[in-house]
Amino acid sequence: MEGYTQTGIQTAHRVGILGLSLLLVLVVLELVRRGYLRERYALLWLGTAGFSLLIGIFPGIITALAALFHFQYLTVLFTMYFAFTLAIVLCFTIVISRMSERNRQLAQELALLSRKVEELRSGAGSQDREETP
Amino acid sequence: MPRVLVIIPAYNEEETIAGVLASLKRQVPDYGIVVVDDGSADQTASLVRANPPAALVRLPYNLGIGGAMQTGFKYALRNGYDVAVQCDADGQHPVEQLHLLVDRLAKGDTDMVIGSRYVADSGYVPSFSRRVGKSVLSRLVDMLIGGGITDTTSGFRAINRRALKVFANRYPDDYPEAEALVIMHMAGLRAVEIPVKMLPRQGGVTSIRPPHAAYYMVKVGLAILVDLFRRPKGTLGEP
Repeated sequence: MEGYTQTGIQTAHRVGILGLSLLLVLVVLELVRRGYLRERYALLWLGTAGFSLLIGIFPGIITALAALFHFQYLTVLFTMYFAFTLAIVLCFTIVISRMSERNRQLAQELALLSRKVEELRSGAGSQDREETP
Repeated sequence: MPRVLVIIPAYNEEETIAGVLASLKRQVPDYGIVVVDDGSADQTASLVRANPPAALVRLPYNLGIGGAMQTGFKYALRNGYDVAVQCDADGQHPVEQLHLLVDRLAKGDTDMVIGSRYVADSGYVPSFSRRVGKSVLSRLVDMLIGGGITDTTSGFRAINRRALKVFANRYPDDYPEAEALVIMHMAGLRAVEIPVKMLPRQGGVTSIRPPHAAYYMVKVGLAILVDLFRRPKGTLGEP
């Protein structure tokens, strides 16, 4: 085996990368078009797909990196995909955290306003303590 | 006379809530009462409705003790209260000693008064897991805020309007007591503690079980470290 000194990328791998990235681009674009995926969250997916396409077209990028770090080029490929996946997951966790904070504020607001409505309806309660915030 | 609001966060407390409301009405008739029902599935809400003038604020789903307390803080601010007192719905907090907290706060040199279970004469013996889970963290928090607080996890506390504004803007989700001290310290507010006698639980089940001790340590520890290095948030939340 040539091992680390492997220079070219195998044609089968190249075709696989190209096919998968094209498929990913199409799926993401279709999801955006149908409104299942919002544009701002689709960007990282499109970035991943774009990177993947780039490698399919210019495989020299990863074979050069592989030679530089003495890795198999497939290892380099998977590491880069993994990095993109991590970025996407991290981004979504940020979005979820922000949403849960807003969700909490919304629930509190709803509870306080419901109480207000009840007070106004019954005409009793805390007229003497009202104060605009 | 400051206008005082007693905030009672309640999650499935049908066994004890009516008793707590009754003793509040007897002991501190001048205080306003709001029960924040944190998405209870039992009779808690209807028991509160049957006990006017206690106000009922019902969250649409469970937010956790911190989210419920923060709802109470917002209620206090919007209804013009000067002081808010936290009181558990399980009957463990000694209602007849509430005025001690309020009186101490009225001296005006502090923003929070904590009723401590560990100070001499309080007659409180915490369970083993509670001691282990909380002692390290308690000491850490005490150190961070400049000392003086031995019972950093006591929920029996009174706060003034300045602290209300800070907490309406930011309050932790779960196990909020210790972290809240750090948040107010970072906002430049002061806390003192006085001894109180705690009662055993009157009914229901405690929300803190041994498996939670490890989670408590890690979660609160991390949150406190983050608080220390966090840049002050804007006015998100309270209008």
